Amino acid sequence: MTTHILHSLAAEYLERLRRAGHGLPPGRLRELLAEIEGHLSEAIDSSASDAQALTVLDRLGEPGAIIAAETPNLDELPNRRGTKEWAAIILLLFGGFIFGFGWFAGLILLWNSRPWTTRDKWIGTLVVPGGLATSVLIGGIAIGEPTKTKSICQGIAGGVQHCTVAAGQSTPSTILGVAVFALLVLVPIATSVYLARRAA
Amino acid sequence: MRAQPATLRSMVVKIRETAISQLRRGVLEFCVLALLRDGERYSYEIVRALGDAEGLVTTEGTLYPLLGRLRREGVVDTTWRESPSGPPRRYYRLTPDGQAALGGFVIEWARFRDSVDALLCNEGLR
Repeated sequence: MTTHILHSLAAEYLERLRRAGHGLPPGRLRELLAEIEGHLSEAIDSSASDAQALTVLDRLGEPGAIIAAETPNLDELPNRRGTKEWAAIILLLFGGFIFGFGWFAGLILLWNSRPWTTRDKWIGTLVVPGGLATSVLIGGIAIGEPTKTKSICQGIAGGVQHCTVAAGQSTPSTILGVAVFALLVLVPIATSVYLARRAA
Repeated sequence: MRAQPATLRSMVVKIRETAISQLRRGVLEFCVLALLRDGERYSYEIVRALGDAEGLVTTEGTLYPLLGRLRREGVVDTTWRESPSGPPRRYYRLTPDGQAALGGFVIEWARFRDSVDALLCNEGLR
């Protein structure tokens, strides 16, 4: 294998291309980078002047334009919101209620869909795992715990058992619980809206 | 409301540029196939040959996505080989499907070009 050193401006250009192409499927980006690196290596000698290097880069065009030219090629495969994408969004939101399995089914559909970038898929996975089912579970605990009532019985006196019912925690804790619950409900819904918009 | 002359001029320029761009995009892939008719070439050679042709390519870099699409369509086949001076080179050659596509386009293009020429030169209308 031959080692080669890219001109500093060429290396910088390649890095800009890599950053611009972060939304492409990894295989496509790797192929594109390999081709462009070959072009830069052929066209710009490592000892070339900056002016010569810039002339070659001008002919090559802006990295964004190259990525834009690659992006329509993704349309060779379905790239817009379809039945699979809607199913993924709905299952990620409500699938947790189907014994948790529904959410995992949504996750598989999410990662096998093309319209979303890897970043979108991670957002769909991590915010909030389990979807609304997790929100209801955690929110229920957050609200229920402070307001739980306690029953204290003090033995039998004259055949009658005396029990006193103590109210739960103070109001601020309840408000905090409701706020957490509201947040946990809103965040998965916002994630679903985000995914739907990204796939439009 | 009537459009101002300057607005009309810019609209005409835009329409013309869009038409040229679409025409260019439509024929470029066949120009790549035509370059490979006489044998294989590596990607940089193809891109430079098209880049040197007057008015055919505005940015050379956008040809690489086109080469990728031709590979996936199966009209060209590729092989990587070591280069004496740099990273490995990807060599392209026509597949039988590519040869058939090129042959069909050459016939269609000749008819298309003749008809458009005739109309543009106002000879076909007489």
